[in-house]
Amino acid sequence: MATHDSAPHALRHGVNRRQFLRRVGWSGVGAATLVLGRGRRVGAQPASRYPDWIPPSTKPPKRGGTLTRASAWDPPVLDPRLTNSVGLFQIASLVCNRLVRYPFADEATGTADLTLKGDLAESWEGNADSRVWTFKLRKGVKWHNVAPVNGRELVAADVKYCYEQYAKEGVQAFTFGEIEGMETPDKYTLRVHLKSPNTMFPQNVAEAVTVIFPREVLEEDGDLKKRMVGTGPFVLKEHTRKVRAVLARNPDYFDKGRPYVDEYTILSTPDAATRTAAFRTGQSDFHWVASLSDVETILKTTPTAVAEEYKFLQTPFGLALAQDRPPFNDVRVRRAISMAIDRQKQVDTVYEGHGILGWGIPYIYFQDAKPTAAQLGPWWQYRPADAKKLLAEAGHANGFETTLFYYEYFPQMTSQVQLVQQDLKKNLNITVKITKLDYTTYYGRYAEGKWDGMAWGFKTGYAVSLDEQTYQYMHSKSTKNYFRFADPVVDELVTKLRQTPDRAEQRTTTRKIFEREHDQVLRMWMPYDPGFLIWHPYLRNIGALAIRRSDGYGSSTLARLWIDK
Amino acid sequence: MYKYAIRRLLLAVPVLLLSSLIVFGLMRVMPGDALTALMAESGNVGERELQKLRGELGLDRPYHEQYLIWLWQMVRFDPGYSIFTNEPIAVALKKAVPVTVELAVLAMILGLAIAIPMGVLSATRQDTTSDYIGRVVAVSGLSLPDFWLGTLVITFAAIWFRWIPPLGYASLWDSPWTNLQQFLLPAAVLGYRLSAATMRMTRSTVLEVLREDYVRTAWAKGLGGRMVVYKHALKNALIPVVTIVGGQLGTLLAGTVIVETIFALPGMGRLTVEAILFRDYPVVQTNVMLVAGTLVTLNLLVDLTYAWLDPRIHYR
Repeated sequence: MATHDSAPHALRHGVNRRQFLRRVGWSGVGAATLVLGRGRRVGAQPASRYPDWIPPSTKPPKRGGTLTRASAWDPPVLDPRLTNSVGLFQIASLVCNRLVRYPFADEATGTADLTLKGDLAESWEGNADSRVWTFKLRKGVKWHNVAPVNGRELVAADVKYCYEQYAKEGVQAFTFGEIEGMETPDKYTLRVHLKSPNTMFPQNVAEAVTVIFPREVLEEDGDLKKRMVGTGPFVLKEHTRKVRAVLARNPDYFDKGRPYVDEYTILSTPDAATRTAAFRTGQSDFHWVASLSDVETILKTTPTAVAEEYKFLQTPFGLALAQDRPPFNDVRVRRAISMAIDRQKQVDTVYEGHGILGWGIPYIYFQDAKPTAAQLGPWWQYRPADAKKLLAEAGHANGFETTLFYYEYFPQMTSQVQLVQQDLKKNLNITVKITKLDYTTYYGRYAEGKWDGMAWGFKTGYAVSLDEQTYQYMHSKSTKNYFRFADPVVDELVTKLRQTPDRAEQRTTTRKIFEREHDQVLRMWMPYDPGFLIWHPYLRNIGALAIRRSDGYGSSTLARLWIDK
Repeated sequence: MYKYAIRRLLLAVPVLLLSSLIVFGLMRVMPGDALTALMAESGNVGERELQKLRGELGLDRPYHEQYLIWLWQMVRFDPGYSIFTNEPIAVALKKAVPVTVELAVLAMILGLAIAIPMGVLSATRQDTTSDYIGRVVAVSGLSLPDFWLGTLVITFAAIWFRWIPPLGYASLWDSPWTNLQQFLLPAAVLGYRLSAATMRMTRSTVLEVLREDYVRTAWAKGLGGRMVVYKHALKNALIPVVTIVGGQLGTLLAGTVIVETIFALPGMGRLTVEAILFRDYPVVQTNVMLVAGTLVTLNLLVDLTYAWLDPRIHYR
């Protein structure tokens, strides 16, 4: 395994003629096999030559230097109550803190380490039935030394106020709406009373989107759109939309000696080719890359760069069906459709053999190894003949017509949508009329939930916690249940899960939810390639963790990054 | 001429009114609104809450009321606030307009600096290697789209020279050297495209003028080649060229959208595209009206330039 200090030179290849011919040869064989439709490995994913975990540096960290990144995201507003957009949280994760957090790259034992650590809270504990949670705050935590807080101390009442605002309106209302009341017995203690037991409440307040903001800014400005002030490792020095955000080291940060870099500049760079060019020329120190071939192209011209395969444990996109009406309210139809889609073909062609097949709940919550195709269940195997039979049993022997709308989050998505269309026509005679929409139209229609037919669905990208992944995304009453399913068994299981303190029992219940979801094909997950993170070799402790990219929702880990120059 | 200019300005009023109606209507026809966009990636927002916010922003009023309110704002030169960012639109424009104007002016200068000498060269050395090169350059400029050329330029600059323009934006007054580095490549990309049509037009009109009797007379009088071409032929050949350049201003402004995105410049193009994507009605409407007003004014200026170029032209 490569470490930060011994950058993996062996990984830095271009593609020579022989390799090219070999690949073309294999692609040809692959294509032929696909055409014939037999003899393929199912669920196979070629081992990437890039590591998915680069342990932290063992050298003593150095202070100073400026970190720069060309970013696709440019938050229009700075108000965490109004949006969960990653563009906002690439900044907010460094300016603000949460009560609890997940481990940073230099603390984690591996990508899947999700052990909770104290952020503003030093300790926390729930009562016997997990309805009352008490958080003991760190003493001496100061707000940034800027107006209007001017470095005053953070106290429990600040957190209480902040959570009340989240519950009152905005995108966090569902999460914080489960709070029945809060009390602050003393300056450094916050006691949260929940409406119903939830053993995973601390996980929910460890999510990147639950940052603590100061009362004064909201009261003075009426919103948080223009100023971002926090207690975090960096102070927001400048935010010029479409140009840059400059984060300066907070000298009063409670984690003494950190952060290590003096300044972090995020350059608004909407074009992907320009971001790559910025990385190549050293204007950007680290960079997310979508595909294996892109990584290889970049490493060919920037051979000293270090690449890490991003270990993503969940799938953000899938086929959403209007399950509250015919024909998709019939489980046989859903199963038939799922069996008629050749997911491995999508992995092999669209994702250059590097994608994951797709599943909902991150597997680390119920098993150690990545699920095999077989573990996804019988309805997730490509079996067109069985699919046709099942659809006929459901009364649609001649297929039917339906619609599918989507927004192209990334270019590969269009290919995936077209492959699904092709598979459904070929195998089930289902005619799918595709509509490609712009983001706002797509989002509005999808989130409103009144659409008919199919949609290329998503779940929000920030979520790490098991409660978010289960109860909040899957309960029929949740506003985050975008896939529009209502399954009483799932409702019961996800409610039970949040009342289960025992880890082993949690895993068992989570597996049951996973199996129920896959058996009923409630969300039809599609293959996805989480991509790669590449950086210049002088960066230390930048590695991405599971579910959290260090350039996005996991940005807070940059507090531990240092520059070895 | 004054009467002509005033009449043209008065005629601009219905043009601008029609533009305002079209842009207002189109924005309302598009599905979704700024609030939907703002809540994107978020979920968790109830319809009741959205309705409340829409009410606060006046988006629940009848369309004709919204239109009249906006029109009144435009008449008072107070475009109001962005729905999306809450920033005064005037402030956003103050930041974006100089970027686009600088880009457009530089592109125009570069474009003309390439087009006119090459056009003249092509015409005066017709069917020679210089002419063929000029024509290939012109055809390429017409054929290569901005997004392709821009991407290619930035990618190969990074690979071959390990250099791309410094990302971000530095004002011309605060940091002229950085500003020049940031603008030169995008202006060259835009200017190259702009130069293609101008060069072809310059070539053909100069060729035509060179065959006129008065040019033959100039040659017969024994004037030098430069004097004949630049003093007698070129000025007279420029009228159609000015028309072409004036007509290309719209193309130029459209081109800035792409070029600003590729080179990460915070100009009008990016502002408008983002506002369209996020259904930020007031910003889109104001920007479109600003562009419409600019084009109307520039077209008038182009028309007035004819009289300077050709004293035979009189305005009534």
